[in-house]
Amino acid sequence: MSVMEYNGGSVIAMVGKDCVAIASDLRLGNQALGITSNFQRVFPVTNRLYIGLPGLGTDVTTLRERFRYRVNMYTIKEERDIQPETFAHLVSSTLYEHRFGPYFIEPVIAGLSKAPSGGFKPFIAATDLIGCLNFAKDFVVAGTASAKLFGVAEGLWEPDLEPEDLFETISQTLLNAVDRDAFSGWGAVVHVITKDQVVTRTLKGRMD
Amino acid sequence: MASADGGAYSYSLTVFSPSGKLVQIEHALAAVSQGTTSLGIKASNGIVIATEKKSSSILIDDSMIEKVAVICPNIGIVYSGMGPDFRVLIARARKSAQAYWKVYGEYPPTKVLTQEIATVMQQATQSGGVRPFGVSLLVAGWDIHRGPSLYQVDPSGSFWAWKASAIGKNMINAKTFLEKRYNDDISLEDAIHTALLTLKEGFEGQMTEKTIEIGVITVPTIEELEAGKEGGESGRPRPTFRKLTEEEVKDYLAL
Amino acid sequence: METSFALTGKGYVIIAADTTAARSIVKMKVDEDKIKELSSHLLMSYSGEPGDTIQFAEYVERNIRLYQIRNLYPLRPAAAAAWIRRSLAESLRSRHPYSVNLLLGGYDIADHKPNLYWIDYLGTVVELPFAAHGYGSYFALSLLDRYHNPEASLEEGLATLKRCIEEVAKRLIVSPDRFKVKVVDKDGTREVEL
Repeated sequence: MSVMEYNGGSVIAMVGKDCVAIASDLRLGNQALGITSNFQRVFPVTNRLYIGLPGLGTDVTTLRERFRYRVNMYTIKEERDIQPETFAHLVSSTLYEHRFGPYFIEPVIAGLSKAPSGGFKPFIAATDLIGCLNFAKDFVVAGTASAKLFGVAEGLWEPDLEPEDLFETISQTLLNAVDRDAFSGWGAVVHVITKDQVVTRTLKGRMD
Repeated sequence: MASADGGAYSYSLTVFSPSGKLVQIEHALAAVSQGTTSLGIKASNGIVIATEKKSSSILIDDSMIEKVAVICPNIGIVYSGMGPDFRVLIARARKSAQAYWKVYGEYPPTKVLTQEIATVMQQATQSGGVRPFGVSLLVAGWDIHRGPSLYQVDPSGSFWAWKASAIGKNMINAKTFLEKRYNDDISLEDAIHTALLTLKEGFEGQMTEKTIEIGVITVPTIEELEAGKEGGESGRPRPTFRKLTEEEVKDYLAL
Repeated sequence: METSFALTGKGYVIIAADTTAARSIVKMKVDEDKIKELSSHLLMSYSGEPGDTIQFAEYVERNIRLYQIRNLYPLRPAAAAAWIRRSLAESLRSRHPYSVNLLLGGYDIADHKPNLYWIDYLGTVVELPFAAHGYGSYFALSLLDRYHNPEASLEEGLATLKRCIEEVAKRLIVSPDRFKVKVVDKDGTREVEL
């Protein structure tokens, strides 16, 4: 039995043209037994930044609370929203603090960062459970279906997708990958982040 | 009780006098105003901080004296008051900047670092067994969120943002001088000259590249910012604060 | 084997827990009450490692009471669940973690809604319309998927619960023979006979 697979669940993030998307399934189980089909593991950090926390259920809640606390303190102290790059480092250092007794979570981060010229730049990143950062230019995956997600994303993703197309791509990638994973599935949630709004959609999936 | 030296209230740091004063803090401020003059001017495209560096004997090797200190690539500090106290604060500030870098992967904005130093200085006014720091600081920094900013921190731990300010022995005259000379669209080059001119007022002895220290913040252009770090993603941030070399100071003095 | 169920209905939560206290293969006691009344509108069933269960349940009970004494009003179910979760999550990474699984059922007198929280010893919390712990969960959850109705009256809810208990009695090898059933609704908590 692996702790990383005890509750199940997967997250994926993708880059599009001036937009990013992050999606997750909604299952939480006890090994093979499904407990709920409405377990949220993707959370907003700012208006243009989200984090997905696939892994052990208890640590999803604990880390969400920790990051909320640290981001709130940052926002008050610095009098501004945290930028995705900065937040990624915050996530990394928070996880590495527990190097020898880690949280069993592999976070995925997706957001738009402010460019010096004033525009917004897509940003995605993922880390392992001790905070080793991986900045990708196309997509990042994590969770019990990560191997399958890699395969499907590799086939479906293409550069410069518009928000609607990115939504379709990430949704199909997630839905089809989790169908081949016993520990992920039971519905999904997708957030597409553009400079002026975040569109959140809940998807139905196979219930087996 | 109401004697000139603060009477019974002058010894305990943490006891208010009946008139609501903490006399030890006022004494610390007095120590600052005996220190050499330092000043800072915020220009449209940068900041200059400068101080006079005078040694009590010609036998002292003044190349070892450092009164303008680099904290991190985007922040520098100058002080008036007690040198040893300054050294302690510099060590704290550098540690704090590195700690910030370890968590966030970037160096702190000027305001955050200033606040951190101010907290250290405030704590010295409220803790047992210590005395307040005998220095005032001018903190010059640049960050992408607020641009260039210049702060002054006092022994009490209070801090303000300035367009131009002076601390130390000649601060009153220097400030009056700066008030006359300052305008909002002064360039960095002009500001450096104004800084030297201000220091010259009330300067005892010869003003040379050996007796002057200057630090500058240069505001990076959008192109420089878009170019990112030196040596790519994993490289080092381009410094926005630097100390002028003796040659550079000499050139400014010659003009 | 230890089993507990809970389900919500129209304005109530029912919690049922078996009453056996076992040690190894021996039944030591058959009338153990494993559902605590934490406050006027809050119930909590507990199961898991003997010793840990009572110790932790009493710790929760006293702290919930302490909050009420200090603040003159009780914790709402969601807040209580968050506090209990945090206790378990902190305990999990301590030298001796509690291994206790809980079902927390409450009626929120502020928004007049029944709440049910499934909590395991790791500190995982999920809010659910129905929930179960122990081997009985493998039988009960599929039944509840089929028969649970959030709008059901108390009688209908108890009938659904009875189905679960009967199924467990029928199919589980070492099934508990008695269940204690408690209800919480707008009038507070009470025990009911099936």
